[in-house]
Parts: sequence; C-alpha cells; structure tokens
Amino acid sequence: MRIASCILACAAGMALPVCAQQTPALDLFVRPDKGYCIACHQLPAGSGPATRSDLGPALAGSRMRELGKPKLRELITDPTVAKPTTVMPPYGRHRILDAREIDRLTDFLHALP
Amino acid sequence: MRCPDRILAAFALALLTLAGPALAAADAVRAEMTAKLKSDLPSLAPADYVLGSAAFDADLRSQLAESANAATTSGVLEAGRAAWTRKFKNGRTLASCFPNGGRRIAGAYPQYDARLKRVVTLETAINQCLKTNAEPLLDIDDGKSMGAVTAYVRSLSQNQKVAVRVPAAAEASFDQGRRLYTTRMGQQNWACASCHVQGAGKRYAEQPLSPAIGQGASSVVIRGGQAVTLQARVRECLERMGVAPFAAGSDELNNLEYYLTYLSNGLTLQASPWRAARATRG
Repeated sequence: MRIASCILACAAGMALPVCAQQTPALDLFVRPDKGYCIACHQLPAGSGPATRSDLGPALAGSRMRELGKPKLRELITDPTVAKPTTVMPPYGRHRILDAREIDRLTDFLHALP
Repeated sequence: MRCPDRILAAFALALLTLAGPALAAADAVRAEMTAKLKSDLPSLAPADYVLGSAAFDADLRSQLAESANAATTSGVLEAGRAAWTRKFKNGRTLASCFPNGGRRIAGAYPQYDARLKRVVTLETAINQCLKTNAEPLLDIDDGKSMGAVTAYVRSLSQNQKVAVRVPAAAEASFDQGRRLYTTRMGQQNWACASCHVQGAGKRYAEQPLSPAIGQGASSVVIRGGQAVTLQARVRECLERMGVAPFAAGSDELNNLEYYLTYLSNGLTLQASPWRAARATRG
C-alpha cells in the first residue's frame, strides 16, 4: 500500500523525499553517517568492501541465520541487552538508525552468504 | 537550625555514593591496567606501547621509523623554539619561567598544583607563564602555536622517562580522569576504554587501536605536518563517540591527561613522534 502510494505520488510529480531517499542496506552498513558497521566488522568476500577491521566479529551468513531475524533486529537495536560489555552502539535505542533502516540492515545481514 | 551530625554524615555518605565508587589508589589502578594489557596483548613488549597504532602494524612501524624527524622537517620544532625563546615586553621569555630553561621537565607533567588545587598540564603551565608576564595567552587547542611550543619543550626531554606523581591530595583529580576514560557516553555509547583497553590492538576503520598505556608518553604527535596535542586527539575521539567535547584545558581533560600520563609512568617519553592521518567519519 505504501509502495503503491509512493508510485502514484511520484508519477504525479510530487516531491516525496521518503520515496526517493531510502538508503540501500549496504550503504547503511558502510556509510560513516549511518551504521558504519564496516568500521568494526568484516563481510564475506564479495558482499561488500574488504576491510581488516576486527573490533567486532567477522559476519557470516550462517551465523546470522542461526540467530534469526528477530534476534538480529534486537541486537542491532540495543546489543547491550544481550551483552552489557559490548562496544557495539545501540543503533535503535540511541536513534542512530530508524526502525525501517534497522529492518533493512537485518534483511541484509540475514541474506549474507 | 543546626543539622545533627548523624544527618550530615548520612548526607555526605549519600553524596559519595552518588559520585561513584570509592577512590582507587593510583598505583593500584596502573597495576591493574598493566596486568590487563599484558594479558590481552602477550606478544607486545610493554616498552612498545608508546608506538601507538604502529605497535600492531609492520607498515606503520616502518613509516614511523622513516618519519623519525617529522617534527624537524615539518618546521614544528623551529616554530616552537622561536616561541619558547621570544622575548616578552618585559625582557623575559617562556624559558625563564621553567627550571633549567625547560630542559628535562616534560616527563613530570601534568602535575598537581596544591595551591591551585587542580591539575596543571604543560600547556596550562605555559599559559600561566604568559599570564604572569602580561603576554597574550596561546590557544591550548591550536597545534600551530601551543602544539609547536609543547613539541619543542618535549624535545628538550627526549629519552626522559615519564614520571608523573599523584600525591594524596590529587587522588580525586586522578580518579575523575579515570572515570572519564572508562565511562560510556554519547550516541555511540563508547568509553575511551572501549577502544583503547577492551579493543586495544584490534582495528577500527582499518587503523589498529593504540593501548591506553603509552598514549600519555606521546602527548604531542606530528600528524599531517602539524603538532597535535593529546587533548586535541581526545577531543576528536569524543566527537566520534557522539559527545560534545570538553574544552581543551578544562579540568575534565586535564584530569584525563593526568590519568593517562600516569599510566605511562616509566615508559620513555616520545618527543613528538609521527602519526598516520586519521580516517574521517561522516
């Protein structure tokens, strides 16, 4: 319904920043003004930029699917609930990312090879 | 109305409780940190903590060795020497404010001034000298002026050991510095210690994270051809953490520098070593 509204509005030439500015999931992972997850985590080869950063664990699709989407979403929203000593920022609790961005990041991580 | 002593005592106890854990003796704090880093970084010799990020990266080590004269070739030392020896209107100089013209003094800073009841860094001591002599003060956060002067003074203490004292009266200042270093804050919910204790030696944005011990031994570094003070670097970190940084020269950052430099006691003071440019964030 929301997508249909966007298409109709865009077709009508209306300026709808929400439609136009949805940040791709990989950008959320990489951009310093978004999640900047790449500063700490390595991705599987071919899934994004290569890095030697290792402040956080390397991310593998199998582990992401083992956790499952609800747990992944919780971890991104506030990882200190599961692990109080973690250095990972509470992306949702501190409003670094909004709920839709967290959903897209969750889908991205869940689909990693 | 006079408060009964018991109520006053209870009130004081409550205040102390709110203020956080009891003061930790500085020696015990340093011993605990030393043990933690030795355990987490067993392959790194403690003397190499002063290398910062380069301690964990062969290429950075090579660049550090190749750039050993960065403070001279960048012109920083010459600018600092000129400021240090410039005659004031009254004929005195910055050098005249310090024992032995400033030779072999840097390792003892920051120090606690019992009269002022606060921590005095080398930068604040330099500004005290300027103030006493009715000269304009230097911007403590400015690498070109204050950074160059402190780089020069530190060059007069090359190979001196860091030897900061924390007398009993200074324990509260030291402890405030410790708490500031270890308290999570800002949008990222990081403490300085999250990266430089918990994450020391790991990489953030490609760069290895320097260990907490050693940072105070290199209180001025040369980065991009300019002197950058420890407090300027801390302020950059605070911005990354999503925190409005404390002002350079504030009691908060002076106490933090006091804590960090005390952790480096016994290490060889690094007079303005080269450091790689930092990745920018956002």
